[in-house]
Formats: sequence, structure tokens, C-alpha cells
Amino acid sequence: MSCESEQYMSLMNKVLDQEATKQEEEALFAHLAVCDECRVHFNELKTATELLRRLTHPHLPASFTKNVLDQLPPDKRHAIRRWGSRHPVLTTVALCAVPMSLVMIGTRRQWKEKSGYALVKMSGDQT
Amino acid sequence: MDLKEKRLIKKVRKGDQQAFAELVEQYKNSVFGICLRMVGNTQEAEDLSQEAFIRAYKHIDQYDHERKFSTWLFRIATNLSIDFLRRRKNNVSLDAVVPGTEGLSLNTILPDEGEKPDDRIVRKETEEMVQMEIKKLPEKYRLAIILKYIEDLSLKEISEIMDIPVGTVKTRIHRGREMLRKNMIEGGKTV
Repeated sequence: MSCESEQYMSLMNKVLDQEATKQEEEALFAHLAVCDECRVHFNELKTATELLRRLTHPHLPASFTKNVLDQLPPDKRHAIRRWGSRHPVLTTVALCAVPMSLVMIGTRRQWKEKSGYALVKMSGDQT
Repeated sequence: MDLKEKRLIKKVRKGDQQAFAELVEQYKNSVFGICLRMVGNTQEAEDLSQEAFIRAYKHIDQYDHERKFSTWLFRIATNLSIDFLRRRKNNVSLDAVVPGTEGLSLNTILPDEGEKPDDRIVRKETEEMVQMEIKKLPEKYRLAIILKYIEDLSLKEISEIMDIPVGTVKTRIHRGREMLRKNMIEGGKTV
């Protein structure tokens, strides 16, 4: 711009950035009232930023998220953990079932051993 | 950053893809907006957005949880867009196939309901003009302008995304703004 004072350019930027003090703002507007060139320049800058602000925000189709998920590397976690985080109640039940079943198997085996021992003893008696 | 997001990211770190889906839903349109205004083409922008999210997922370990997640994500998206533009610059024939305003189809610019058809056409033309002018800006100014005026981010966030000091961000916004003004007048289309 040919307006002598570069200082008004930096004032315009300050005002547009909303960083100007009250005095700076007043100084600029006082100048704009008497300088056509700077006033036009300032209004053009304001229009340009206003046009940017008014641009429509585009939206992606709903399928986008699914497409992203389809391309992710396979879940790092073990299948059991993945299942676990989705079904917390069933996981608790399953975890409790492990010691329970161990106890049951143990009891069963003990019972089997006892009866097996009895059979051996019986056959031993016969000979 | 809100607690819910922190929790989601914790889950993503453990490999929870459903948690990641929630983050994608939250940020997909912002990421797409940045990519679209950078490259000016809907299809390319959608591909770049997709790649940005896939990268974020793969490299979630590199995300510093003291910072905003969106800042980190937008940085990935802008870097991908800039890489893409550089690749395209080296491939002139490809650039010729992609006209400046192709990205701004009616599907992208969803008109307000109840808007008169004439208004819609005027708005579409204005949007196309603005997009064309954005595209004319050198990349570094373009990115600063997009983050500031379209994504409405703070100078601090922009400085983190672009990895430059706040003072430099300001200079780039000033120069970008001035160039935009000048080009719009030269185009004779300033409203």
C-alpha cells in the first residue's frame, strides 16, 4: 500500500487479531476516518476473513468410520481379552468357573483313585 | 482434555478398536475439513483423512497424553496433506486432471434448509471462489489460514500443529490474509 505509514498496517493486523488495546483501536479508526486507501484496505481484509469464516464445514459420509475400522491392523489384544471387555459379567462368571471346575475335577479324580485302589486290592486278594 | 477422551485413549492403547471408533466419530469432520481445504478435492481429502486415522491408531504409543489429542491428530492430517501436495506437484499430469474447485461439489456444501435456489447458487459460487483463492496460497500460509479461520483454533494450538513458534504463526496468518485480499481483488470478485 502506498500510505506512508507502515504502522497502520501492523495496527490493522493487531485489530484483526483482536490483540489491540483500546487506544490502538481508536488510533486506527481515527486514521481510517481520514484515509480512504487504508479504509478500503482494512475493509477488504475483513471481507476476506469473513468469507473464510463462512465456508461450509463439510461432512463425511456415515460409512467413513467403518471404512477406517476395516483397515486397522488386527486387534492387538488376545481374542479372549477382547471378548472379555465386551462382556464383563460373563467374564466374571467364566473366571469363577475355572477354580470351581478344578475343584470338581479334583474331587472326581480322588473318588476315581479310591475306587481304582479298591479294585486293585480286590484283584490282589484273588491271586 | 476431558476424562472421557482420556479413558478412550487408554483403551485404544490396549488395542480397543471400538474405543477408537468413538474418537473417529468425534474428529472425522474436522480432519476432513483440514484435508479438503488443503488439497481441494473431496475424494483425495477423504483418503487422506482415512490414512490420518489409521496412522493415529498405529502410532498411538507416540501420543503424549499431556497434550491435546486433537492437536496431535491434526498434525498427522496436515503432514499427510502437505506430503500429498508435494507428491502431486512432482506429477504434473495428475495435477491437470484435478481442477481447482472439483472438491466443492453440492454434496460437500450442504445447503441450509429453506434456502432459495438462487441464494444457493450464489453461495456455491462464492465458496468455489474462496476455495480457489485458498488453493493459490503457498502451503505454509494456506495451512495457517485454514487452522485459524476455518477450524477456529487458538494460536497456541496452531503453533503446536505446525511445529513453529506462535510469533511465526501470526506472521503467516498476516501474510496469508494479505495475499488472499490481494488475489481476491485481482480476481475482481471481492463482495
